[in-house]
Amino acid sequence: MRDDPLRGSDREGVLFFGAMGAGLSHELSNIFNIINELAGLQQDIVAAAAQSGTAGLARVTDLAARIKAQVDRGEAINRSLHRLSHCIDDTEVDFDLGDALALFGTLAARAARLAEVDIDIRPPETSLAHRGSSFDLLLALHACMRVALAAATSVRRIDVWAEEGPSGVRVIVGSGDPVAGTDGDPSNAAVLMSGSAALGAAPRIETTPEGECHIVLDLGSRRTVAAEQADERKAEV
Amino acid sequence: MGQAKLLFVDDEDELISALVERLELRGIDATGVTSGDEALERLREEHFDVVVIDVKMPGIGGLEVLRTISRRYPDVKVILMTGHGSTEDSEIGRRLGAVAYLQKPVDLEDLLATVRQASSSMETQESNAG
Repeated sequence: MRDDPLRGSDREGVLFFGAMGAGLSHELSNIFNIINELAGLQQDIVAAAAQSGTAGLARVTDLAARIKAQVDRGEAINRSLHRLSHCIDDTEVDFDLGDALALFGTLAARAARLAEVDIDIRPPETSLAHRGSSFDLLLALHACMRVALAAATSVRRIDVWAEEGPSGVRVIVGSGDPVAGTDGDPSNAAVLMSGSAALGAAPRIETTPEGECHIVLDLGSRRTVAAEQADERKAEV
Repeated sequence: MGQAKLLFVDDEDELISALVERLELRGIDATGVTSGDEALERLREEHFDVVVIDVKMPGIGGLEVLRTISRRYPDVKVILMTGHGSTEDSEIGRRLGAVAYLQKPVDLEDLLATVRQASSSMETQESNAG
């Protein structure tokens, strides 16, 4: 057996990127297949119209709109893939948590759909800036999501949101289904710990009084460059 | 036997509707559904000669639907379709009784040729039995 050249968080990152790439590529293939079929249908309709001497313009116009809708869908997926690919380079930057969560929503959509689980990404009400690596956050969220999806057998709903508390920012993956705590399920512990190693924020599982399970990622209060610059300007004044 | 009656199963609604529309333009009796559950429900209600199933779907996957069809409706021919096919899936599909395993995008004429082939093997079986 050959030695695996990738270890620890590097390996987790590559596995995550591979899983996301494969999922998005599958979604793009679906879109190309649909466009292929719609274009074929358009040819069929034009051929039938030419044969019968009728125009069939309304159906052709409708088909053009259906093709355009698929192109827009593909564009959105491609944008997400592009953003994911580029955020690997940014290890220590200011980023907006709302944007990162929205990207995560697109990346997680296929896994949720295949598991027949509804996923709702709730953007923060106000812009929530954070400093660090958005890729590491996405990787940790992916681990939280895997654990939540595996547990989603009854309510089949997952909510993801970010909030600011006294000890800083935290991101929560909430599940209506009970998620076994890391102490109760060693496989959950392994997934969560390895997925969040690069982020350096160990997720913890809390149960609310309403019986909902929250997988909480404490990001702490990392001052953004913008905030530091604002403070420096104030000090100078 | 007359023309084969087809059931298409794929979770991409727009793909199914375009495919069914194209077949209807050719005078072929085709129905589309978007999940394995729906497919099994339709098969309980009416007879189809050939079922074309996408392998990867939410809920009951294509291979599971094939397994159920082979058990409950052994006279129904099943063709599997996949976007990113693996040799393993193809092998399992054949072992479970699929008559063909097609890679998407499938050319409509190729698909119809495969359906015709499946139907004619069905006719041969029927005439041998008779």
